[in-house]
Amino acid sequence: MNIGNLYFSFTNPSLFMLLTLSLVLLLVHFVTKNGGGNSVPNAWQSLVELIYDFVPNLVNEQIGGLSGNVKQKFFPCISVTFTFSLFRNLQGMIPYSFTVTSHFLITLGLSFSIFIGITIVGFQRNGLHFLSFLLPAGVPLPLAPFLVLLELIPHCFRALSSGIRLFANMMAGHSSVKILSGFAWTMLCMNNLLYFIGDLGPLFIVLALTGLELGVAILQAHVSTILICIYLNDATNLHQSGYFYNCTKARSSLPIHSERGMGAVHSLSGNGRKRLQCRRKHYVSRSGNICGDGY
Amino acid sequence: MLEGAKSIGAGAATIALAGAAVGIGNVFSSLIHSVARNPSLAKQLFGYAILGFALTEAIALFALMMAFLILFVF
Repeated sequence: MNIGNLYFSFTNPSLFMLLTLSLVLLLVHFVTKNGGGNSVPNAWQSLVELIYDFVPNLVNEQIGGLSGNVKQKFFPCISVTFTFSLFRNLQGMIPYSFTVTSHFLITLGLSFSIFIGITIVGFQRNGLHFLSFLLPAGVPLPLAPFLVLLELIPHCFRALSSGIRLFANMMAGHSSVKILSGFAWTMLCMNNLLYFIGDLGPLFIVLALTGLELGVAILQAHVSTILICIYLNDATNLHQSGYFYNCTKARSSLPIHSERGMGAVHSLSGNGRKRLQCRRKHYVSRSGNICGDGY
Repeated sequence: MLEGAKSIGAGAATIALAGAAVGIGNVFSSLIHSVARNPSLAKQLFGYAILGFALTEAIALFALMMAFLILFVF
């Protein structure tokens, strides 16, 4: 079916994506509207809650960052991406089904649209200052041209690599299962008792591979979501990871704490000394308690 | 002639698996080392290790994709 020069047909991938979408929506609908919403969840509700609760932890871990409102803003998008790719991957493991993510065009379309979206978000949030993303702070000037190139290439390659990763994992797993099961089937059809008994080996390998594939399907959804979060964090917070944020927060909260404990704080720069004082006081109070208990 | 060259090329593309094997082994050996040093961090470290494993495995799959390209595209 052609519209203009473009090819619009209802193909296998589109059918199975619609099936995935309806499956997810049905699951969520059953849990939230009619049968669900219980304070003590049944199995289905706890499954959906597990999937839903899984994403905010991930998002908070990666893009908590300097600005606290980011996680509220991007959480729905990331959650939908995770749920959709999880169910697409898992649906492919049903026999005689079709794996949508084993088609290169679909994963590549997803990863490119996410890449473009992340770049737009970066420019929107930081303006032209986003370009400082290409040059880490504190780099000597003669090194700058090489470093800009070295940062630009991986940044653009991310769009390709996250699509290829998902596609290649699904494709490789399914083709290895297919090859081994074809081998087992040929061995079974040889009409020989010895081969018939020996066929148990490949059969168990196929079983194990199917289990591995289920694991890979879940893991790849997880990994691609984590990577989207990391890229988004890079774009919004510009090389400032959550680790530095925690360090500065701990450093700024420490004087207040020691002030409360020790009275006046003498020097502002002696951070380690303050921590030492704090610890010493803690130790003294503990040992004091022990002494008071009758030792 | 062309078929033979294709097979040789696809076989040569799987040499890359050596590097992926070293990488995956390195990831999990580091995990075991660090969990042995500090078992209380096991859960967090396992998450990182799984992430590293998936990234390393993806590189191996790039090699597989090259093999497929050589075999079926050209």
